[in-house]
Order: sequence, then C-alpha cells, then structure tokens
Amino acid sequence: MNLIDRTQKPQPKGEISFSLPEIQKFRLENGLNVYFIKKNKFPILQVNLLINGGSVFDPKDRYGLSNLFSMVIDEGAGDFDSLQLSDEFDSLGTHFSVSSSEDNLYFSLQTLEENFEKSLDLFSTVITKPHLEEKDFHRERRKIITRILQMQDEPDEIADMVYQFRIYGKTNPYAFPVIGYENTVKDISKDDIKGYRDNYLHPDNSTLIIVGDITREKLEDKLNSYLRDWKPGKASSNADSPYTAQRKKIYLADKKDSVQSEIRIGHLSTKRNDADYFSKLLLNTILGGQFTSRINLNLRERKGYTYGAHSRFNYFKNSADFCVSTSVGIENTANAVHEIFNELNGIQEGIKPEELEFAKSSIIRKFPSNFETNKQIASNIIGMVIHSLPDNYFNNYIEEIKSIEMDNVNSAAEKYIKPNESIIILVGDKAKLIEQFKNFDIETIETDIKGELKS
Amino acid sequence: MDILNIDYEKYKLTNGLEVILYKDKSLPLAAANIWYKVGSANEIKGKTGIAHLFEHMMFQGSENIPKEMHFKYIQEAGGSLNGSTSFDRTNYFEKVPSNFLELVLWLESDRMGSFIPALTQEKLDNQKSVVSNERLERYDNQPYGLAWELIISNLFPEGHPYSWSTIGSLEDISSYTLDDVKSFFKTYYSPSNAALVIAGDFDTGKTKELVEKYFVDIKANGNAKQLKTGASKLKENIFLAHEDNVQLERIYLSWHSDIAYGDDDSSLDILSDILTGSKSSRLYKNLVYEKEIAQDVTAFQFSGRHGGFFTITATAKPGIKLELLKAEILKELDELKNNGITEKELLKSKNGIKSNFIYSLQNIDSLADQINSYNFFLKEPNSFNFDLKRYEEVDNEKIKAALRYFSNPFVELHIVPKNGNEK
Repeated sequence: MNLIDRTQKPQPKGEISFSLPEIQKFRLENGLNVYFIKKNKFPILQVNLLINGGSVFDPKDRYGLSNLFSMVIDEGAGDFDSLQLSDEFDSLGTHFSVSSSEDNLYFSLQTLEENFEKSLDLFSTVITKPHLEEKDFHRERRKIITRILQMQDEPDEIADMVYQFRIYGKTNPYAFPVIGYENTVKDISKDDIKGYRDNYLHPDNSTLIIVGDITREKLEDKLNSYLRDWKPGKASSNADSPYTAQRKKIYLADKKDSVQSEIRIGHLSTKRNDADYFSKLLLNTILGGQFTSRINLNLRERKGYTYGAHSRFNYFKNSADFCVSTSVGIENTANAVHEIFNELNGIQEGIKPEELEFAKSSIIRKFPSNFETNKQIASNIIGMVIHSLPDNYFNNYIEEIKSIEMDNVNSAAEKYIKPNESIIILVGDKAKLIEQFKNFDIETIETDIKGELKS
Repeated sequence: MDILNIDYEKYKLTNGLEVILYKDKSLPLAAANIWYKVGSANEIKGKTGIAHLFEHMMFQGSENIPKEMHFKYIQEAGGSLNGSTSFDRTNYFEKVPSNFLELVLWLESDRMGSFIPALTQEKLDNQKSVVSNERLERYDNQPYGLAWELIISNLFPEGHPYSWSTIGSLEDISSYTLDDVKSFFKTYYSPSNAALVIAGDFDTGKTKELVEKYFVDIKANGNAKQLKTGASKLKENIFLAHEDNVQLERIYLSWHSDIAYGDDDSSLDILSDILTGSKSSRLYKNLVYEKEIAQDVTAFQFSGRHGGFFTITATAKPGIKLELLKAEILKELDELKNNGITEKELLKSKNGIKSNFIYSLQNIDSLADQINSYNFFLKEPNSFNFDLKRYEEVDNEKIKAALRYFSNPFVELHIVPKNGNEK
C-alpha cells in the first residue's frame, strides 16, 4: 500500500504554452470585411455573417421586425422553395441558421470541409436571392405571434422582459424584446421585410467570420466568386444610449400560483469598450460571475435559497447594464433580495487580496480553453467586431488582466455597483410577495408582463 | 473514418477502478471524467432522488477538501467542472490546463475514498434545500414541467427503475438522513463500480503513476447488486389529462421501444429525425408548415440499459383540438408502416448524423464523456465508428422492423390550461 499525504494540494507541473490562433483580415471586392482563422485539426468550417441591423433598428411601431426578417429570409431562395432549401442544407449535413439579437442579425453555418463550396453556394443564394414570399411571411409571422403568447407561461422570460423594459425605459431601443409584441408584430408588412433587406443586408454593413480547415487563397477565391452578386449599399449606425439613474424600486409582475419567484436586480452601466472593462470583469468574477462568487456561495451554498444566483454586466453595442438574477422558492423572496443587497453593499467595503488573486488566476488560466472549438473562436471574434475592440485585443488580454490591482477593483466597485440606483424585478404570486415586502420601505409598483405600469 | 478511430489505453487498478487514457495534444488541456455505475434506476419507490442528491453532496467536500473548495481549486486553475445524474449512471468531470491534471486526480480520489468523514448535517440540509429549489425551477415552476414524470410513471410498471424521475419527489428529497447518504455511498461509490477517463495533453507514463498514487489505496466495497429488469409492456392505451399554467394545449404520445444499442435503437433515432428533425420532416411539414395546426412537434427516442421509449410531442396552435393532432400523428405513422421511407430521407438523415459525429469531436470534455459512455454500454471505448456504422446500416427493412413498436399500446398525455386560463 502506498500511503500518500492527501492533505497537500498538488501544485501545477510547469507552465503550459499556448499560442493564439492567428487572425487574418481581408476585404472582398464588394466591401465585405472578412476575419479568417485557420484551424486544421478537424475538416470543419464555421462561418458567421454579422449584419449591423438587430432589433434596436426596429421602427417604434414595428418591434420584432429584425426577428421576423431572420425567420423569413431562409424560407426559399434562388431555385429552391422553403422546404427544398432546408433539404439542400440538411443533405450536406450542414447546420444553417439565421437569428436576430438586439444589435445584430446573425447567419451561422457549420459544415464539413468537403461540403464547404456547396454550402457557401446555398448561403450566398439566401443572402442575394431570398424569395421573401407572401405565404412564408404570413406563416412565420403567425408562428411568432403564437410564440409571444407562449412566453406568458415562462417566468424567466417575463422577468427578462420586465427588467429590460424598466431598466432602459420606453424611449430607448434596448428596452424592447427582440421578438417584439403581439400588436407590433401584427403590424409588420411584407414591405417592411423588403425594406429591412434594402436598408441593412449589405456587404459594407456586415462582417464575415470564418474559422476552420481551408487555405487563405482558396477561401478568398471562393468568397469572391460566390458573393460577387452581393452589391454594396450603406452602413447603418445608431446612437449611444445615455445613462439614466433610477431610484430603488420594486416592480412586480404577478404570476398566480407560482411556487418560485424570478428575481432581477440591476442598473445601467458603461459600455464594453470603456477603459475600466478589465476591472469590471474581475470585480464581477468576485461578486457573481461564477459558481464560487460571493452571491452564489451566499444564496445557494450557505442559505440554500436557490439552485443558482449570478450577476453579470450585459454589454450591448451602445449600452450596458449590470444585473443580478436568480429564482428562489417564493417564501424566500424577501430574504434573497435582502442577501443580494448585502452583497452589493458588501463589495463596496473592499475586496480581499486573495479574492483578486483567485479571480485573476481563474481568468488567465482559463484563456486557452476559450479557443477549443471553431464556434468558440468565431464567437470571440464576433465580440471583437461588435464592440470595436482592437485587433491585438486577445494578444494583450492576459497582460491587461495581470495589470489590474486592488485599487482598480475597489474603485470599480464604488463606481459600477450602485445598490441605491438598482431596480428590483419580481415575477411571482403577487399576494405572497406583497406580504413579504411590506416592511421593506421600498416603493412597490405592479407591472404587466411587458413591464408597463398597471393603473 | 480515420478521425473517428481513437487510440486509447485501458487498464484496471487492483481495486477494480477502470482507467482509460486518450491522448490528444492539440491544446494544452486535460479532461477527467468519472462514471459511477449508479443512477436513479438503483433507487426504490418512496426513496427517489437520492442518486442525484448524492451527486450534489460529492461537491460538498471530503476529508482533505473543505466545503466550497472543490469548485474553488478547479476554478482557480482556470478549469470547468460539473456532474450529472441520469437513470443509469452518475458522472463527474473537470477540464483544466494540462499542468493541473494532478489537482483533479487528487480531488476526485479524495471524494471517492474519503467522502464520509467530511459529511455533516448542515451540508446535507443545505443541499436538500438547493435540490428542492432545483426541482421547483426545472419541474414545478416550468410550463409543462411535470409531463415527463407523468409519462414515465404510467408507461413503466410500478417499481420499474425508470418509473420515477432522477430529481425525485420533494417529499423523498426532504426525508433523507445522514445514514441514508452514508449507506448510498458505501453501496455504490466503490472504485470497482467506476471508470475514469483521462483525455487530452498528458504524459502517459507519468499519468499512470499519478493515477496509481491517488487511487490505488481506495478500498473496494464489494459489488453493487446488478439490476434485473425485463421488457415492459402496456396492456392497453393509457389516457392522462393534466392541468397546468399554460396558454396552449400539448399532446404527448409515448410507446415502449428498444434499449440503448438494441437492434432497433439506431433505426428509431433515424425515424425521429425523419418525423420531426427538419423543416421537411414528415410531421413538421404536415402539422407546423402546411396545416399550421401545431406550433411545434418533436419526436425522441430515449434508450437506457433497462428500457427505452419513443415519444412524440406536439403543441397545439390556439383553438386547435389535441384530437386532431393525434389523428394526424397516427396517420403519418400508418403511412410509414404502409409505404416505408424514401432513399432521399434516409440519406439526408445519415449525412446529418455523420456530420454531427465529426462536429462533436471538437470538445475534449464531451469526447471524454462519450468514451466513458461507450465503455459503459459497449465495454469498448473506441466505438465511434461502430456507432456511426449502426446508423449507416439502417435501411427500409430495419425501419419497418422498428415501426412495429407503434402497433403496441401507448401512453397519451394531454397538458391543458387550468380552468379560466383557456384562450
């Protein structure tokens, strides 16, 4: 028997070496910017097209337009009707999808190298020759309206919707759900869809990201030939959202008979390319960014109120917010809110040096595993593009983290965590919640599931 | 295919722990993945959910690892970790920079060998509460969240190991004592009832030494008793209706089918793809695309060691009766029985499956888990090509054979809006 000393934690063996994949950039003849990362391990290619045209561009009475567009654009193109087109991709074993977010419309393609050219051909057909037919438009619109109805059942969806609406406020395009509202989706016409294409679907308003097993020469050649017919238009842009401070308030959306309540607590913040980003990242890693952060250890591992509790800075292109989210057994809602504020206040009193060392170590050592799959690499580049980060962003990443000191994080806590400007969203059984919060001395306002005040 | 043929080494320690090493030096990462051959199937009625609760307890520390530190050490190393419980097995896994592999072996061996000394009532009470909240979040407070339990408890006979859910009932979860947890550990958490996969960038000789160092002195607890179950059959159709806080009605039709890697298992996977896997799949095209009587439709073959079942689920568009969806679904199954599938459908399905095999190789941690899964079900870790082949061999004849399950009685579940919720 080999009796070993189990009381000592093993130390790492030497240092690992990791080299970042090289990012190559070029521009196609039609003005489309391309980011290419060559990765040879598997015969797989990941292609993402990022269009600067998400829901923030939806006209006021047409919320949901970019999302509906993302549903309709691949319903038939070129020689193929909707079902044939989907069959063509499926027969190649290629995953193709289109989706919309607040800032962007995304096309995503994952294909085996041997089917790259055929997949690219189909991909370019969708972009340059979509049918956008009446019957497909109506069917997809009905599908979305039913989906919006279903969202009434889902407490987490309601909480996100109310939070987004209350935190950004009616005049801000980030206040509205990407999917839209029933009445605004109903008002979208087929002409709106065509208008969307004319306004946003242009190579000079887009970025293409390709990761995988192909040579630069072959790639450039194929892209130029298959995307030749995609003609330039104009780039779109929209303005930064101003920061607006709020007063601490509870917004409550009733969900009768719920056995849990969904909680969101937060306030607006500074943009992703703000100089303090790395301090905020380390701060949030300590406060609520991972399993062992203060908020989760308190609410889950000590109090047992929840299956999980987290905080994050949500970064949009032109705005950002800080949000704590969790769901708890309804009887513990007030206790959980109380503990979250304890943590938001507690972090203002300063962090411990070992917490900073832990957070730095965690982020720095995790870095290589962010580049494991082609999809992960593509999504890292997407982040760079959306937030206009410098080309050497990943090269300097570890040095940036290392340079952050206690003072940076402590002043970030004071500057970027604002308990007194935080709003509290609760989704759950109203009667049970009001009872719990009656001694809280915070104004409680009831909203509908969109976040509009109930009169 | 060459890239699906993996080179591995498998051996057993003297205490019975199976070890499988798979080297891949493309990134400086290492993954460890342990399967314990115990899941909710090993529970008994009235004592459900303990396998999953136990999985939570394994993260509460062991003799040399204080509470919270298992997570902290791994996250400090830049790693990721988790565990999961299913009917048949419980797994634990970490992915770390390769120079931290020894840390993982230390952590996993400490809880395999010395879990009990660190167990306290406070930890157990805390995790009972966390797991109860997990149940609320994923089942009770989820629209349609109780459907799964309603189906399996009616499809499988009383006492069958798959007739309750892995999460267990709130009542059972709250009933567990320290003795229950200790006895569960002693029965099932033996090295002789586990397999450890290490995948990624490591030195084989040194890693074998480390595995020996950390695991070899853990005593085996003898063998956990093997479950025995026969095939289950329904005598007649079972109809269930359940009211929930939902806007739309949903129908579930569920048939007994084949076990994991049984003769019909891969044909049933392909059938599910042909029925609902794409826009032009039969049920999607008919119900969602053309007639627009359903908002969504999915078909799914679940297969484990002790049973399998095939479930078709469709959510009705507002105002559409579930009877109509049922009739359309059964009609489509009849059509398949009478006329089979087309070559084009089959080829499309197979191409999709082949590509997915290759896409799935990209994550070293999911690869490690798949290796353990093959070892568990097939006793052969290098089964990627074998697995792909069982899909490639599916033809119309095999599809016809698999369709016989749909001639048997089934469970039909309707989830409908609570009174007054009707839209």
